[in-house]
Amino acid sequence: EGSTVSPETTAPGSGRAWRPPGVLPFLPPRQEEAQAIDQELFTEYKFSVDQLMELAGLSCATGIAKAYPPSSFTTSQPAVLVVCGPGNNGGDGLVCARHLKMFGYEPTVYYPKRPNKTLFEGLTTQCQKMDIPFLPEFPAEAALIDELYGLVVDAIFGFSFKGAVREPFGSILSTLERITVPIASIDIPSGWDVEKGKADGLQPDMLISLTAPKKAAMHFAGRYHFLGGRFVPAALQEKYALNLPPYPKTDCVLQLT
Amino acid sequence: CHVPVSSLQAFPLPSLPRKQPTVLVVCGPAQNGAIGLVCARHLRIFDYEPTIFYPKRSPDPLYRDFTTQCEKMDIPFLSYLPTEVSVPPGSLRVHRLTILPPEHPPPGCRRHRVPWGHPLIPCPCLFLPVAGWDAEAGGSGGISPDVLVSLSAPKQCARRFLGRQHFVAGRFLPYDVQKKFELNPPEYPGTECVVALRAPR
Repeated sequence: EGSTVSPETTAPGSGRAWRPPGVLPFLPPRQEEAQAIDQELFTEYKFSVDQLMELAGLSCATGIAKAYPPSSFTTSQPAVLVVCGPGNNGGDGLVCARHLKMFGYEPTVYYPKRPNKTLFEGLTTQCQKMDIPFLPEFPAEAALIDELYGLVVDAIFGFSFKGAVREPFGSILSTLERITVPIASIDIPSGWDVEKGKADGLQPDMLISLTAPKKAAMHFAGRYHFLGGRFVPAALQEKYALNLPPYPKTDCVLQLT
Repeated sequence: CHVPVSSLQAFPLPSLPRKQPTVLVVCGPAQNGAIGLVCARHLRIFDYEPTIFYPKRSPDPLYRDFTTQCEKMDIPFLSYLPTEVSVPPGSLRVHRLTILPPEHPPPGCRRHRVPWGHPLIPCPCLFLPVAGWDAEAGGSGGISPDVLVSLSAPKQCARRFLGRQHFVAGRFLPYDVQKKFELNPPEYPGTECVVALRAPR
């Protein structure tokens, strides 16, 4: 991709490639490393899922507002469809939808598989109490989505995704692959292998990588790549050699491309 | 849920001077103190150097986790509040106080008076805005903050505020709550979570 890559060397005892900070672009963590970072945030740092999900969802909404300001929509209202999957990525989507509403957008949520957990029930209630509609069924045709919405937020699968895509998400992704309005994916374009991507899969216009970009981000070909989730302590960044570029001032997102 | 509210309320102001980014965060025993802990952590992420004084720690598991997060981010916790603060000539030390509810000042805190002339930035909680101030009448003694961040909405006593800047941080409030309490919040610019109210008279 045109980046200058020096030969990797291994620092003694680290078990992973070492690169001097600032010399290379970020080193995307492998899937297990991304999961290990999350685990450490929860078990060592005692962050709650609520806390990090709120900050992640806020980053997504903020990034979207920068890339697609309400004035840029050709639909009469800045209508956004937020498609939420069955896990934490879906939760990020619910938080994002709520903040998008605060920022002046008109989000609609499709949330077909809802976990039986207080966290997700709470997030759903918060959206409903903000008059964010929840669709009873997914729009049958790509053309219908194009007509009604100016942007689709893909909050279906995240970095823990492995294996086959289960229904109804297979059909949903097929439809999304045919829409012409832009898609903003949260963390990983849904359906992609978390490290290798998916050449014939979803091609989002925007990617918001959370915490750090994953290996799949190297296959991202859309216009806007943002980094969000500004909560990783410096010590953890160092431990996993994340080499993240600095966020501007007090912003919760950083535009990478 | 407390957590998202605390996370969203505690974003500090971008207007603080950065030349000597040391900040003292004094945290009371209840929710307001917890907001101070969250605030300190974000200050650290923003490359400030916060130090916390948290003499009466809440047993609430959520607030204890906030404490752990700060400790793991190498934010020092003072074991006592210095009675004297010496300031080298020409430098500016910024202090941030989180509100101590008047009925429960931590032991020894009342005796410590921060020297006059240091800018103080309190973060009022939903119900009790400024240590030593009555929530409605305000106070003639006590702390004179330079900046006030009203959470959710300004309280009555904010009318007595004479400092430089007054911000409101309440963008997370759902519309029906805003309407029910007739809060009439100002417009928040862009995606900002705080908005400056016009300067006090």
